[in-house]
Amino acid sequence: MSYGEPDYEQATAGIRTPSPVARWTATALALGVCAGLLFILGKGFGRNPHEVPFALVGKPAPTFTLRRLDTGAPFSFEQMRGRPAVINFWASWCGPCKAEHPVLHWAAQRFGTRVQFVGVVFEDSENNAKAFLRDHGIPFPQLVDPESRTAVSYGVAGVPETYFIDAAGNIHGKHVGPLTQEAFITEVKAILGEGGP
Amino acid sequence: MTATALGLTLALVSGDYAPTQAGSAPLSPELEARVQRVGKELRCAVCQGVAITDSPASMARAQLDMVRQLVREGKSDEEIRAYFVARYDEWVLLDPKTEGTSGLVWFLPVAVAALGALGGAWYVRQNRAGKVAAPAAVPPASPPAGGDAFLDAIRSELDR
Amino acid sequence: MNHNALGNVFILAAVAAAAGGAVPGLASGLMRRDAGLKWVRRAVWAFFLAMLGANLTMVSALVTHDFSVKYVAQVGSRATPLLYTVVSLWSALEGSILFWGLILGTYVLGFLLAHRHEHQRYLALALAVMLAVGAFFAFLIAGPANPFGEVSPVPLDGPGPNPLLQNHVLMVIHPPMLYLGYVGMTVPFGLTVAALLRGELGHAWMAPLRRWTLIPWAFLTVGIVLGAWWAYAVLGWGGYWAWDPVENASFLPWLTATAFLHSILVMERKKLLTLWTVVLGLSSFVLTLLGTFMTRSGVFNSVHSFTQSEIGPAFLVFLGVVLVLSVALVATRGHLLLREPGAFRSAASREVAILANNLVFTAITFVVLVGTTWPLVAEGMFGKRVSVGEPYFNKMFVPGAAAVLFLMGVGPVLPWGRGERGMMLRQLLLPLAGAVVALVGCLAAGLGGGWALTTFALAGFTTVVTLRELLLPARVRMEEKQEGLITAVFQSAARARRRFGGYVVHLAVILVAVAVAASRQYVAHTTATLKEGESMQVGRYTLTYRGMQSGKEPHREFVAARVEVSGESDLVLPRMNYYERSNDPIQTPAVLSRPHEDLYVSLMAYSKEGGTASFNTWVFPLVGWIWWSLPLLLLGTAVAAWPERRRVPSVAQVPSSAGQGAT
Repeated sequence: MSYGEPDYEQATAGIRTPSPVARWTATALALGVCAGLLFILGKGFGRNPHEVPFALVGKPAPTFTLRRLDTGAPFSFEQMRGRPAVINFWASWCGPCKAEHPVLHWAAQRFGTRVQFVGVVFEDSENNAKAFLRDHGIPFPQLVDPESRTAVSYGVAGVPETYFIDAAGNIHGKHVGPLTQEAFITEVKAILGEGGP
Repeated sequence: MTATALGLTLALVSGDYAPTQAGSAPLSPELEARVQRVGKELRCAVCQGVAITDSPASMARAQLDMVRQLVREGKSDEEIRAYFVARYDEWVLLDPKTEGTSGLVWFLPVAVAALGALGGAWYVRQNRAGKVAAPAAVPPASPPAGGDAFLDAIRSELDR
Repeated sequence: MNHNALGNVFILAAVAAAAGGAVPGLASGLMRRDAGLKWVRRAVWAFFLAMLGANLTMVSALVTHDFSVKYVAQVGSRATPLLYTVVSLWSALEGSILFWGLILGTYVLGFLLAHRHEHQRYLALALAVMLAVGAFFAFLIAGPANPFGEVSPVPLDGPGPNPLLQNHVLMVIHPPMLYLGYVGMTVPFGLTVAALLRGELGHAWMAPLRRWTLIPWAFLTVGIVLGAWWAYAVLGWGGYWAWDPVENASFLPWLTATAFLHSILVMERKKLLTLWTVVLGLSSFVLTLLGTFMTRSGVFNSVHSFTQSEIGPAFLVFLGVVLVLSVALVATRGHLLLREPGAFRSAASREVAILANNLVFTAITFVVLVGTTWPLVAEGMFGKRVSVGEPYFNKMFVPGAAAVLFLMGVGPVLPWGRGERGMMLRQLLLPLAGAVVALVGCLAAGLGGGWALTTFALAGFTTVVTLRELLLPARVRMEEKQEGLITAVFQSAARARRRFGGYVVHLAVILVAVAVAASRQYVAHTTATLKEGESMQVGRYTLTYRGMQSGKEPHREFVAARVEVSGESDLVLPRMNYYERSNDPIQTPAVLSRPHEDLYVSLMAYSKEGGTASFNTWVFPLVGWIWWSLPLLLLGTAVAAWPERRRVPSVAQVPSSAGQGAT
């Protein structure tokens, strides 16, 4: 090492540098920190940063009284008490909602006698929602949710989302994104409390 | 711009886009300030780590409306936070808790800063003047050029 | 030859050139022979030309709408205006890496040309290290992030670039500035690795090291400030900095590079902090890699991040290799740099103040790093999903920023080495008066807020110190050489460019600090939903809603609210832009910008049925000075970085003596 000064060797001759033990301890520490950082970053792969945690599983479902989109009559959570329920949050502007609509049709036909189906319109104009239902069919009661208060009380994080509520009124779980028949059957079996379909 | 042109665009726009909705009416100024303050600490559910007061998304507006509703009902800040944590877990808090494992995010940087300060002090002590038998060539005190030591210091810096 | 094949040929040539230069350069540099340099020079030219060719091929493919090229099919569209078509070269992941390669090639070539006559051995090592980095990026372009893949069948049209990119012209300049900053850190990295490999860091290395850090630092600064300006002007939420992971990613290397630019002063003058400075240089580069990883791996949740991609794992491996090699180098060679002849002669000295500055900057770096990665750590270690957002960063950052402001004032008052106590205290009087005047002025004006007042008082203190440091040398010249004020200022600045430029940059930083504190503390915010003809109040402005209008531009449709502002003849038009590719409208606020405050009007919602519009409005005092400080900042940096011709002979002498010292 040189600073280009003639008496450099002499000047630095007496300087103590850290002992090998200190050097290697520091190195091991630095490597540990690096390994930790890399490990954490590596674990991040496959993680979906857009997934939102849901903490209401197993908790009593929030109650509500909302207006029906078609008749304007009130519809309250109490009307569903004692039956398992499926609540679907959707909007006409959401593409995946269009995609899952046939699944909901099929499900309502197949399970409609045993499970109460309800749709809640999320952040949409009533006209658009009605037009959507005219085009795609109305398989079950659709409710209007002013200011999306019910959606927020259910912890909605985007549409479509489908909540499965058991007969005791507790949230069993929610399905995020468009439903498939398989996913629906798995979830609905759990709230019906049965092994076979 | 004519009304028909507006109608045309709105018709085009209304099909594929989420219609924007007005938020609920603001409360009295001091309550509204609380709404905004608490909202600033809550994460919008559909956005990328943005507070519900800062996001244009309709979800954020809905969440902020809920905060306003809870404030109107007389809930405390702590109760409002608890309401959202009960639904979205601690994830919804942009200001992490100071207890539990989240406390580490507050403690670690402070601890490292303290260690750094200690390390810096140690380094200065280790390298005090006279650490070597024959001290490195110390530039002689600059000759008194003007009598003002401060100006001399500046002069010496300029000569470098 | 078609674009696909031509592009791939260029990229493979770049891989070959980079690897072909890195290996012989490192080998001969380590064996302390000069033979490798010849090869390295050729490889640098070849790497640059290959990258240039690849980028021109891509631009040609974009402009001619050759949708058989994968990248063009992703981001091109016949409807996009020409400017945005060219710009979409860096609008998506693969293109940005390709552009990255060109910048790297340009930097390495620039470094070679600037120093081709100097210190040949370390030149070979440093260039070889930079080429090794280039080899990795060329490999990324050739493999995981290849933009030249063939698409078949060839689509007739594409979706066009990201709508956010097309929303504002700032988005055209902001990304390349950031890239220039990120990529430029490769040069000081090459230099510090070369220094460690050779176990020496002589005086001759320091001028290039400082200058080649200052250049990317300046670009990074411009990129960060323009990014803040863009967020403010485009995103419509009334903010400019949200501590988003991608913003943090650019801030991290900026912090360490800033610390580096200060510690190198101590290293040069006092022969202290050598190893520390080297570690900061390495860290700045590692943090740019971490930042790139954050932006492009899909692991982090951010407004700005690119979509999930395959380059994440490759990048993580590269990051790991660089980290481990850096630690290993410091472990095996670092002690050589600890044999410093310098010494601290007093605790009240410039060098101790700079050490303190470095500690504060490192602490802030750590806060940002921990805060940004904490959601990953909490999930990985405790299985818990948490968020760390703006409130956390503000609470942790503000005290650190105040400490930086304080040290910016105290540091220049303290002399190098050891000073006379009485003199130092006397020098503090005038700046203290500046602080008191600022504080009393604010209190008299009825201003409150603890941190804001602290900032203003510290700003008063530091401004006086900085102006005195800028002007005193001129006064000395005026007295001694009988020069006029202007001549004296120019002459004194020219005689000590780094010093002068540095203090000019300090002034710009003070300006930013005051603007940030004022715009945060004294903001007025109102939201309202108005019917046509109704008014709302924000600050001293009355806003009246005058109805909606709409329109169509080539790449988007928009609706705008017509808003009348009291005392203004023109309406302001906050709008919502609708792009084909995006589900949600993008708001563009209307901003009335004045030197003392901005009126910021954002259209939140409108209802055709109800005839209403909802507005989010703010008045931000002084906020514009955050970006208007840029000219001052650039002026200071340019003065400091300008090559000093007079010094060349004296610098060129040193390597010979350094060589003698080492052999």
